[in-house]
Amino acid sequence: MRNVVRGQMKIQQMAVMIVAVFFFFVLVGLFFLGIVFKDVKGSAGDLQKEQAISSLKVIADMPELNYDSSWSMCVDEDKLRVMSGNFGRTYDLFWPVASVEVYRVYPKFDEVKKCPGVGCNYYEVFNNGQRDLKTYSSYVSICRKVRESGSTYDDCEIGKLVVGVKQASSAENR
Amino acid sequence: MRKGKGQFNFVWLFAIVAGGAILFLAIYGALRFGDSARFQSDTEVAKSIAIITDPLQVGFAEGSFGKISFQQETRINNVCFDNEFGKNDISVATRSGIGEEWNLPGGATSIHNKYIFSSGKSSGLDYYVFSKSFDFPYKVSDLIFLTPDNYCFVNAPDGVPGLNVPNIEVVNCSVADAVRVCFGTGDDCDVMVYGSCLSGCDSVYDEGIVVKDGVDMKYVGNLMYGAIFSDKGIYDCNIRRLLYRAGKIAEEFIDKADLMDARNCNTNLNADLIVWGVMVGNASVDDLSSLRTMTDVIDRKNAGEKLCGMW
Repeated sequence: MRNVVRGQMKIQQMAVMIVAVFFFFVLVGLFFLGIVFKDVKGSAGDLQKEQAISSLKVIADMPELNYDSSWSMCVDEDKLRVMSGNFGRTYDLFWPVASVEVYRVYPKFDEVKKCPGVGCNYYEVFNNGQRDLKTYSSYVSICRKVRESGSTYDDCEIGKLVVGVKQASSAENR
Repeated sequence: MRKGKGQFNFVWLFAIVAGGAILFLAIYGALRFGDSARFQSDTEVAKSIAIITDPLQVGFAEGSFGKISFQQETRINNVCFDNEFGKNDISVATRSGIGEEWNLPGGATSIHNKYIFSSGKSSGLDYYVFSKSFDFPYKVSDLIFLTPDNYCFVNAPDGVPGLNVPNIEVVNCSVADAVRVCFGTGDDCDVMVYGSCLSGCDSVYDEGIVVKDGVDMKYVGNLMYGAIFSDKGIYDCNIRRLLYRAGKIAEEFIDKADLMDARNCNTNLNADLIVWGVMVGNASVDDLSSLRTMTDVIDRKNAGEKLCGMW
Protein backbone atom coordinates (compact mmCIF):
# COMPACT_ATOMS: atom_id res chain seq x y z
CA MET A 1 0.00 0.00 0.00
CA ARG A 2 2.86 2.33 0.93
CA ASN A 3 4.56 1.48 -2.42
CA VAL A 4 1.38 2.40 -4.32
CA VAL A 5 1.16 5.79 -2.58
CA ARG A 6 4.87 6.43 -3.19
CA GLY A 7 4.40 5.49 -6.88
CA GLN A 8 1.44 7.81 -7.24
CA MET A 9 3.44 10.60 -5.59
CA LYS A 10 6.29 10.04 -8.05
CA ILE A 11 3.89 10.19 -10.98
CA GLN A 12 2.35 13.42 -9.67
CA GLN A 13 5.78 14.92 -9.07
CA MET A 14 6.83 13.98 -12.58
CA ALA A 15 3.62 15.33 -14.10
CA VAL A 16 4.02 18.64 -12.29
CA MET A 17 7.66 18.78 -13.33
CA ILE A 18 6.83 18.05 -16.97
CA VAL A 19 4.10 20.68 -17.02
CA ALA A 20 6.47 23.18 -15.38
CA VAL A 21 9.23 22.42 -17.88
CA PHE A 22 6.70 22.68 -20.72
CA PHE A 23 5.47 26.09 -19.55
CA PHE A 24 9.03 27.23 -19.05
CA PHE A 25 9.88 26.47 -22.68
CA VAL A 26 6.59 28.04 -23.85
CA LEU A 27 7.47 31.24 -21.98
CA VAL A 28 11.02 31.21 -23.35
CA GLY A 29 9.56 30.69 -26.84
CA LEU A 30 7.09 33.55 -26.43
CA PHE A 31 9.85 35.84 -25.19
CA PHE A 32 12.00 34.91 -28.17
CA LEU A 33 9.08 35.36 -30.61
CA GLY A 34 8.41 38.79 -29.11
CA ILE A 35 11.98 39.86 -29.86
CA VAL A 36 11.81 38.39 -33.36
CA PHE A 37 8.49 40.04 -34.26
CA LYS A 38 9.71 43.36 -32.93
CA ASP A 39 12.55 42.93 -35.39
CA VAL A 40 10.05 42.11 -38.19
CA LYS A 41 8.19 45.37 -37.54
CA GLY A 42 11.50 47.22 -37.49
CA SER A 43 12.53 45.65 -40.81
CA ALA A 44 9.14 46.50 -42.34
CA GLY A 45 9.49 50.09 -41.13
CA ASP A 46 13.03 50.35 -42.51
CA LEU A 47 11.97 48.94 -45.87
CA GLN A 48 9.04 51.36 -46.06
CA LYS A 49 11.32 54.25 -45.21
CA GLU A 50 13.83 53.17 -47.86
CA GLN A 51 11.05 52.80 -50.41
CA ALA A 52 9.57 56.21 -49.60
CA ILE A 53 12.94 57.94 -49.94
CA SER A 54 13.80 56.22 -53.22
CA SER A 55 10.23 56.84 -54.45
CA LEU A 56 10.71 60.60 -54.26
CA LYS A 57 12.96 60.67 -57.33
CA VAL A 58 10.96 57.96 -59.10
CA ILE A 59 7.70 59.90 -58.66
CA ALA A 60 9.20 63.28 -59.62
CA ASP A 61 10.66 61.74 -62.78
CA MET A 62 7.52 59.81 -63.80
CA PRO A 63 6.29 60.91 -67.24
CA GLU A 64 2.90 61.68 -65.65
CA LEU A 65 4.49 64.47 -63.57
CA ASN A 66 7.87 65.22 -65.11
CA TYR A 67 8.27 68.54 -66.95
CA ASP A 68 10.89 67.38 -69.42
CA SER A 69 12.33 63.88 -69.55
CA SER A 70 15.85 65.35 -69.64
CA TRP A 71 15.26 67.33 -66.43
CA SER A 72 15.39 65.41 -63.18
CA MET A 73 13.37 66.44 -60.09
CA CYS A 74 11.33 68.91 -62.11
CA VAL A 75 7.53 68.58 -62.23
CA ASP A 76 5.12 70.08 -64.75
CA GLU A 77 2.52 72.39 -63.22
CA ASP A 78 0.00 71.60 -65.97
CA LYS A 79 0.40 67.88 -65.31
CA LEU A 80 0.00 68.52 -61.57
CA ARG A 81 -3.33 70.22 -62.26
CA VAL A 82 -4.48 67.32 -64.44
CA MET A 83 -3.32 64.63 -62.00
CA SER A 84 -4.84 66.34 -58.97
CA GLY A 85 -8.22 66.44 -60.71
CA ASN A 86 -10.57 63.62 -61.65
CA PHE A 87 -8.10 62.16 -64.13
CA GLY A 88 -5.73 61.31 -61.27
CA ARG A 89 -8.30 58.93 -59.75
CA THR A 90 -7.55 56.42 -62.53
CA TYR A 91 -4.04 56.13 -61.08
CA ASP A 92 -5.17 55.19 -57.57
CA LEU A 93 -3.65 51.68 -57.61
CA PHE A 94 -0.52 52.80 -59.39
CA TRP A 95 1.39 54.72 -56.74
CA PRO A 96 4.03 52.93 -54.59
CA VAL A 97 3.19 55.20 -51.62
CA ALA A 98 0.06 56.20 -49.64
CA SER A 99 0.04 59.89 -50.57
CA VAL A 100 1.67 62.26 -53.05
CA GLU A 101 1.50 66.02 -52.56
CA VAL A 102 3.35 68.96 -54.06
CA TYR A 103 3.63 72.31 -52.24
CA ARG A 104 4.78 75.66 -53.53
CA VAL A 105 7.49 76.78 -51.15
CA TYR A 106 7.78 80.43 -52.15
CA PRO A 107 6.23 82.83 -51.31
CA LYS A 108 5.93 81.59 -47.74
CA PHE A 109 2.36 80.81 -46.79
CA ASP A 110 0.50 80.57 -43.48
CA GLU A 111 -2.47 78.67 -44.75
CA VAL A 112 -2.52 75.61 -47.00
CA LYS A 113 -4.80 76.25 -49.97
CA LYS A 114 -5.58 73.44 -52.37
CA CYS A 115 -5.07 73.97 -56.10
CA PRO A 116 -6.55 74.83 -58.49
CA GLY A 117 -7.66 78.20 -57.12
CA VAL A 118 -6.52 81.77 -56.62
CA GLY A 119 -3.45 81.97 -54.38
CA CYS A 120 -3.30 78.19 -54.04
CA ASN A 121 -0.11 76.56 -52.84
CA TYR A 122 -0.74 72.83 -52.69
CA TYR A 123 -1.57 70.00 -55.14
CA GLU A 124 -2.93 66.73 -53.79
CA VAL A 125 -2.00 64.26 -56.51
CA PHE A 126 -2.97 61.15 -54.57
CA ASN A 127 -4.18 60.21 -51.12
CA ASN A 128 -5.49 56.74 -50.33
CA GLY A 129 -7.11 57.95 -47.12
CA GLN A 130 -4.82 56.15 -44.68
CA ARG A 131 -4.16 57.85 -41.36
CA ASP A 132 -0.94 58.18 -39.36
CA LEU A 133 1.22 58.57 -42.43
CA LYS A 134 4.91 59.28 -42.07
CA THR A 135 5.98 61.78 -44.69
CA TYR A 136 9.23 62.26 -46.58
CA SER A 137 9.96 65.19 -48.83
CA SER A 138 12.36 66.57 -51.37
CA TYR A 139 12.65 69.92 -53.13
CA VAL A 140 11.61 70.00 -56.78
CA SER A 141 11.17 72.62 -59.47
CA ILE A 142 7.61 73.32 -60.59
CA CYS A 143 7.66 74.54 -64.18
CA ARG A 144 5.27 75.49 -66.95
CA LYS A 145 5.70 76.79 -70.45
CA VAL A 146 4.64 80.40 -70.93
CA ARG A 147 4.30 82.24 -74.22
CA GLU A 148 4.82 85.98 -74.30
CA SER A 149 5.47 88.36 -77.19
CA GLY A 150 5.91 85.55 -79.68
CA SER A 151 8.45 83.59 -77.68
CA THR A 152 8.19 80.94 -74.99
CA TYR A 153 10.10 80.42 -71.79
CA ASP A 154 10.06 78.00 -68.85
CA ASP A 155 8.43 79.64 -65.84
CA CYS A 156 9.73 77.74 -62.80
CA GLU A 157 9.40 78.07 -59.05
CA ILE A 158 10.57 76.10 -56.03
CA GLY A 159 8.33 73.36 -54.73
CA LYS A 160 8.37 70.48 -52.33
CA LEU A 161 7.32 66.93 -53.18
CA VAL A 162 5.92 65.14 -50.13
CA VAL A 163 5.16 61.40 -50.09
CA GLY A 164 3.51 59.58 -47.21
CA VAL A 165 3.85 55.97 -46.15
CA LYS A 166 1.97 53.99 -43.52
CA GLN A 167 4.30 53.78 -40.57
CA ALA A 168 5.12 50.51 -38.83
CA SER A 169 4.46 50.87 -35.09
CA SER A 170 8.00 50.10 -33.97
CA ALA A 171 9.44 52.42 -36.57
CA GLU A 172 7.62 55.26 -34.83
CA ASN A 173 9.70 54.70 -31.72
CA ARG A 174 13.01 54.77 -33.52
CA MET B 1 7.33 -6.94 -5.59
CA ARG B 2 5.32 -7.41 -8.78
CA LYS B 3 3.35 -4.18 -7.96
CA GLY B 4 6.61 -2.22 -7.57
CA LYS B 5 7.87 -3.45 -10.92
CA GLY B 6 4.52 -2.45 -12.48
CA GLN B 7 4.78 1.02 -11.00
CA PHE B 8 8.36 1.36 -12.22
CA ASN B 9 7.28 0.45 -15.77
CA PHE B 10 4.34 2.87 -15.64
CA VAL B 11 6.60 5.71 -14.49
CA TRP B 12 8.97 5.06 -17.36
CA LEU B 13 6.09 4.70 -19.83
CA PHE B 14 4.62 8.00 -18.63
CA ALA B 15 7.99 9.76 -18.84
CA ILE B 16 8.66 8.41 -22.34
CA VAL B 17 5.21 9.42 -23.65
CA ALA B 18 5.30 12.89 -22.04
CA GLY B 19 8.96 13.44 -22.96
CA GLY B 20 8.27 12.30 -26.52
CA ALA B 21 5.34 14.71 -26.77
CA ILE B 22 7.50 17.59 -25.53
CA LEU B 23 10.31 16.68 -27.90
CA PHE B 24 7.86 16.44 -30.78
CA LEU B 25 6.39 19.84 -29.95
CA ALA B 26 9.87 21.34 -29.60
CA ILE B 27 11.03 19.97 -32.97
CA TYR B 28 7.76 20.96 -34.65
CA GLY B 29 7.99 24.46 -33.14
CA ALA B 30 11.62 24.83 -34.22
CA LEU B 31 10.77 23.78 -37.79
CA ARG B 32 7.79 26.16 -37.91
CA PHE B 33 9.93 28.93 -36.52
CA GLY B 34 12.61 28.19 -39.13
CA ASP B 35 9.94 28.33 -41.87
CA SER B 36 8.62 31.64 -40.54
CA ALA B 37 12.12 33.12 -40.37
CA ARG B 38 12.83 31.96 -43.95
CA PHE B 39 9.47 33.33 -45.14
CA GLN B 40 10.27 36.65 -43.49
CA SER B 41 13.73 36.79 -45.03
CA ASP B 42 12.46 35.85 -48.53
CA THR B 43 9.68 38.44 -48.28
CA GLU B 44 12.20 41.11 -47.25
CA VAL B 45 14.41 40.19 -50.22
CA ALA B 46 11.45 40.50 -52.63
CA LYS B 47 10.61 43.92 -51.18
CA SER B 48 14.27 44.92 -51.41
CA ILE B 49 14.34 44.01 -55.11
CA ALA B 50 11.47 46.46 -55.64
CA ILE B 51 13.42 49.16 -53.81
CA ILE B 52 16.88 48.61 -55.25
CA THR B 53 15.54 48.82 -58.79
CA ASP B 54 14.41 52.41 -58.10
CA PRO B 55 17.82 53.98 -58.86
CA LEU B 56 17.81 52.10 -62.17
CA GLN B 57 15.31 54.59 -63.59
CA VAL B 58 17.53 55.84 -66.37
CA GLY B 59 16.49 59.52 -66.42
CA PHE B 60 18.18 61.13 -69.37
CA ALA B 61 20.97 58.54 -69.54
CA GLU B 62 20.98 55.81 -72.16
CA GLY B 63 20.54 53.16 -69.54
CA SER B 64 21.95 51.84 -66.29
CA PHE B 65 22.74 48.51 -64.69
CA GLY B 66 23.33 46.90 -61.33
CA LYS B 67 24.07 43.51 -59.80
CA ILE B 68 22.21 41.71 -57.03
CA SER B 69 24.23 39.03 -55.24
CA PHE B 70 22.75 36.42 -52.90
CA GLN B 71 24.62 34.30 -50.38
CA GLN B 72 22.82 31.14 -51.48
CA GLU B 73 21.16 30.06 -54.70
CA THR B 74 17.91 31.97 -55.00
CA ARG B 75 14.92 31.70 -57.26
CA ILE B 76 13.05 34.85 -58.27
CA ASN B 77 9.46 34.35 -59.43
CA ASN B 78 7.86 36.99 -61.62
CA VAL B 79 4.09 36.85 -62.13
CA CYS B 80 2.59 39.52 -64.37
CA PHE B 81 -1.00 40.84 -64.28
CA ASP B 82 -2.20 43.05 -67.13
CA ASN B 83 -5.52 44.46 -65.97
CA GLU B 84 -5.29 48.23 -66.60
CA PHE B 85 -1.90 49.38 -65.19
CA GLY B 86 -1.29 45.81 -64.04
CA LYS B 87 1.60 44.74 -61.87
CA ASN B 88 4.60 42.45 -61.50
CA ASP B 89 4.39 40.22 -58.42
CA ILE B 90 7.94 39.39 -57.36
CA SER B 91 8.60 36.60 -54.86
CA VAL B 92 11.78 34.89 -53.76
CA ALA B 93 12.52 31.26 -52.81
CA THR B 94 15.73 29.72 -51.55
CA ARG B 95 17.06 26.26 -52.34
CA SER B 96 15.97 23.59 -49.89
CA GLY B 97 18.37 21.12 -48.32
CA ILE B 98 15.72 18.45 -47.80
CA GLY B 99 12.61 17.28 -49.65
CA GLU B 100 11.54 19.61 -52.46
CA GLU B 101 14.30 21.26 -54.49
CA TRP B 102 13.03 24.76 -53.63
CA ASN B 103 11.40 26.05 -50.46
CA LEU B 104 8.00 27.70 -50.74
CA PRO B 105 8.49 31.34 -51.83
CA GLY B 106 8.08 34.22 -49.39
CA GLY B 107 5.33 36.81 -49.66
CA ALA B 108 5.09 38.46 -53.09
CA THR B 109 5.76 42.17 -53.52
CA SER B 110 3.43 43.83 -56.03
CA ILE B 111 5.11 46.41 -58.24
CA HIS B 112 2.62 48.53 -60.18
CA ASN B 113 4.87 51.28 -61.52
CA LYS B 114 7.66 49.20 -63.01
CA TYR B 115 7.95 46.78 -65.89
CA ILE B 116 10.21 43.88 -64.98
CA PHE B 117 11.18 41.61 -67.85
CA SER B 118 12.53 38.26 -66.69
CA SER B 119 11.71 34.57 -66.86
CA GLY B 120 8.70 33.48 -64.83
CA LYS B 121 11.15 31.50 -62.66
CA SER B 122 14.86 32.22 -62.77
CA SER B 123 17.47 30.98 -60.33
CA GLY B 124 21.06 31.84 -59.55
CA LEU B 125 23.50 33.43 -57.12
CA ASP B 126 24.10 36.68 -59.01
CA TYR B 127 21.42 38.58 -60.87
CA TYR B 128 22.13 41.34 -63.35
CA VAL B 129 19.62 44.15 -63.60
CA PHE B 130 19.71 46.78 -66.27
CA SER B 131 17.25 49.24 -67.65
CA LYS B 132 16.42 51.04 -70.87
CA SER B 133 13.93 53.76 -71.59
CA PHE B 134 10.72 53.10 -73.54
CA ASP B 135 9.61 56.11 -75.59
CA PHE B 136 6.43 55.69 -77.64
CA PRO B 137 6.74 58.48 -78.89
CA TYR B 138 6.97 60.28 -75.52
CA LYS B 139 8.61 58.61 -72.54
CA VAL B 140 6.29 55.95 -71.11
CA SER B 141 8.53 54.23 -68.58
CA ASP B 142 11.83 52.53 -67.99
CA LEU B 143 12.05 48.85 -68.79
CA ILE B 144 13.86 46.73 -66.22
CA PHE B 145 15.58 43.53 -67.32
CA LEU B 146 16.48 40.95 -64.68
CA THR B 147 18.50 37.82 -65.46
CA PRO B 148 21.00 35.51 -63.74
CA ASP B 149 22.25 34.04 -67.07
CA ASN B 150 25.24 34.95 -69.19
CA TYR B 151 24.52 36.03 -72.75
CA CYS B 152 26.56 36.11 -75.92
CA PHE B 153 25.33 38.53 -78.59
CA VAL B 154 26.47 37.27 -82.01
CA ASN B 155 26.60 39.72 -84.96
CA ALA B 156 25.09 42.42 -82.76
CA PRO B 157 24.78 45.83 -84.44
CA ASP B 158 26.63 48.82 -83.01
CA GLY B 159 25.11 50.19 -79.83
CA VAL B 160 23.60 46.87 -78.70
CA PRO B 161 23.24 46.63 -75.77
CA GLY B 162 25.08 49.97 -75.41
CA LEU B 163 26.01 49.36 -71.76
CA ASN B 164 28.93 47.44 -70.35
CA VAL B 165 26.66 44.90 -68.72
CA PRO B 166 29.06 42.23 -67.36
CA ASN B 167 26.91 39.22 -68.23
CA ILE B 168 26.48 40.22 -71.88
CA GLU B 169 29.44 39.59 -74.17
CA VAL B 170 29.29 41.09 -77.62
CA VAL B 171 32.77 40.36 -79.00
CA ASN B 172 34.77 37.14 -78.32
CA CYS B 173 32.18 35.12 -76.44
CA SER B 174 34.22 33.21 -73.87
CA VAL B 175 31.65 31.89 -71.36
CA ALA B 176 30.78 28.29 -72.25
CA ASP B 177 27.21 28.08 -70.97
CA ALA B 178 26.13 31.50 -72.23
CA VAL B 179 22.79 31.91 -74.01
CA ARG B 180 23.66 32.67 -77.64
CA VAL B 181 21.59 35.48 -79.13
CA CYS B 182 22.16 35.79 -82.88
CA PHE B 183 21.28 38.89 -84.85
CA GLY B 184 20.22 37.86 -88.35
CA THR B 185 22.61 34.89 -88.70
CA GLY B 186 24.82 32.73 -86.49
CA ASP B 187 25.60 29.18 -85.35
CA ASP B 188 24.20 27.30 -82.33
CA CYS B 189 21.74 30.08 -81.58
CA ASP B 190 19.36 29.83 -78.61
CA VAL B 191 17.64 33.09 -79.52
CA MET B 192 17.31 34.69 -82.98
CA VAL B 193 16.67 38.39 -83.60
CA TYR B 194 15.37 39.38 -87.04
CA GLY B 195 15.28 43.10 -87.79
CA SER B 196 12.63 44.43 -90.14
CA CYS B 197 12.83 48.20 -89.85
CA LEU B 198 13.01 49.75 -93.31
CA SER B 199 12.19 53.43 -92.87
CA GLY B 200 12.54 56.07 -90.20
CA CYS B 201 14.99 54.03 -88.15
CA ASP B 202 18.63 54.16 -87.06
CA SER B 203 19.11 50.41 -87.44
CA VAL B 204 17.25 47.57 -89.12
CA TYR B 205 16.84 46.12 -85.60
CA ASP B 206 14.75 49.07 -84.39
CA GLU B 207 11.79 46.82 -85.14
CA GLY B 208 11.49 43.10 -85.71
CA ILE B 209 10.93 39.68 -84.23
CA VAL B 210 12.75 37.74 -81.52
CA VAL B 211 12.44 33.95 -81.87
CA LYS B 212 12.96 32.10 -78.61
CA ASP B 213 12.07 28.46 -77.86
CA GLY B 214 10.24 28.37 -81.20
CA VAL B 215 7.99 31.29 -80.20
CA ASP B 216 7.87 34.61 -82.07
CA MET B 217 7.87 37.86 -80.09
CA LYS B 218 7.36 41.11 -82.00
CA TYR B 219 9.21 44.17 -80.71
CA VAL B 220 9.97 47.81 -81.38
CA GLY B 221 12.93 49.75 -80.01
CA ASN B 222 14.23 48.72 -76.60
CA LEU B 223 11.46 46.15 -76.18
CA MET B 224 13.89 43.86 -78.04
CA TYR B 225 15.73 43.30 -74.74
CA GLY B 226 12.43 42.47 -73.05
CA ALA B 227 11.79 39.77 -75.65
CA ILE B 228 15.33 38.37 -75.26
CA PHE B 229 15.34 38.23 -71.46
CA SER B 230 11.76 37.26 -70.62
CA ASP B 231 9.19 34.55 -71.29
CA LYS B 232 6.48 35.12 -73.88
CA GLY B 233 3.81 35.38 -71.16
CA ILE B 234 5.68 38.01 -69.13
CA TYR B 235 6.64 39.90 -72.31
CA ASP B 236 3.10 40.10 -73.74
CA CYS B 237 1.68 41.06 -70.33
CA ASN B 238 4.21 43.87 -69.77
CA ILE B 239 3.62 45.17 -73.32
CA ARG B 240 -0.14 45.42 -72.65
CA ARG B 241 0.60 47.28 -69.39
CA LEU B 242 2.98 49.67 -71.15
CA LEU B 243 0.55 50.37 -73.98
CA TYR B 244 -2.28 51.02 -71.50
CA ARG B 245 -0.04 53.50 -69.66
CA ALA B 246 0.97 55.12 -72.97
CA GLY B 247 -2.76 55.62 -73.64
CA LYS B 248 -3.28 57.20 -70.21
CA ILE B 249 -0.34 59.56 -70.73
CA ALA B 250 -1.88 60.55 -74.08
CA GLU B 251 -5.11 61.44 -72.24
CA GLU B 252 -3.10 63.53 -69.80
CA PHE B 253 -1.37 65.33 -72.68
CA ILE B 254 -4.79 66.14 -74.17
CA ASP B 255 -5.83 67.83 -70.89
CA LYS B 256 -2.43 69.52 -70.65
CA ALA B 257 -2.85 70.86 -74.19
CA ASP B 258 -6.12 72.55 -73.12
CA LEU B 259 -4.32 74.26 -70.22
CA MET B 260 -1.52 75.38 -72.53
CA ASP B 261 -4.03 76.69 -75.07
CA ALA B 262 -5.49 78.90 -72.32
CA ARG B 263 -2.04 80.53 -72.01
CA ASN B 264 -1.81 81.13 -75.78
CA CYS B 265 0.58 78.23 -76.11
CA ASN B 266 -1.39 76.42 -78.78
CA THR B 267 -0.53 73.01 -80.08
CA ASN B 268 -1.82 71.20 -83.14
CA LEU B 269 -1.35 67.81 -81.58
CA ASN B 270 -4.73 67.42 -79.90
CA ALA B 271 -6.50 65.56 -82.71
CA ASP B 272 -3.56 63.19 -83.16
CA LEU B 273 -3.33 62.54 -79.43
CA ILE B 274 -7.04 61.72 -79.17
CA VAL B 275 -6.77 59.11 -81.94
CA TRP B 276 -3.43 57.86 -80.60
CA GLY B 277 -4.72 57.54 -77.03
CA VAL B 278 -7.65 55.35 -78.08
CA MET B 279 -5.52 53.20 -80.38
CA VAL B 280 -2.59 52.60 -78.06
CA GLY B 281 -4.68 52.13 -74.92
CA ASN B 282 -6.42 49.09 -76.41
CA ALA B 283 -3.47 47.70 -78.35
CA SER B 284 -1.50 44.50 -77.90
CA VAL B 285 1.90 43.20 -78.93
CA ASP B 286 0.63 42.44 -82.46
CA ASP B 287 -0.07 46.15 -83.05
CA LEU B 288 3.44 47.36 -82.15
CA SER B 289 4.67 47.64 -85.72
CA SER B 290 1.71 49.68 -87.02
CA LEU B 291 1.78 51.88 -83.90
CA ARG B 292 5.47 52.63 -84.41
CA THR B 293 4.70 54.16 -87.81
CA MET B 294 2.18 56.44 -86.11
CA THR B 295 4.62 57.40 -83.35
CA ASP B 296 7.02 58.70 -85.99
CA VAL B 297 4.31 60.97 -87.40
CA ILE B 298 3.27 62.31 -83.97
CA ASP B 299 6.87 62.76 -82.83
CA ARG B 300 7.69 64.77 -85.98
CA LYS B 301 4.64 66.96 -85.37
CA ASN B 302 5.67 67.56 -81.76
CA ALA B 303 9.23 68.42 -82.82
CA GLY B 304 7.70 70.87 -85.32
CA GLU B 305 5.94 72.67 -82.48
CA LYS B 306 9.07 74.63 -81.67
CA LEU B 307 7.46 76.97 -79.21
CA CYS B 308 4.90 74.83 -77.44
CA GLY B 309 5.92 71.22 -77.77
CA MET B 310 4.18 68.72 -75.50
CA TRP B 311 7.22 66.60 -74.61
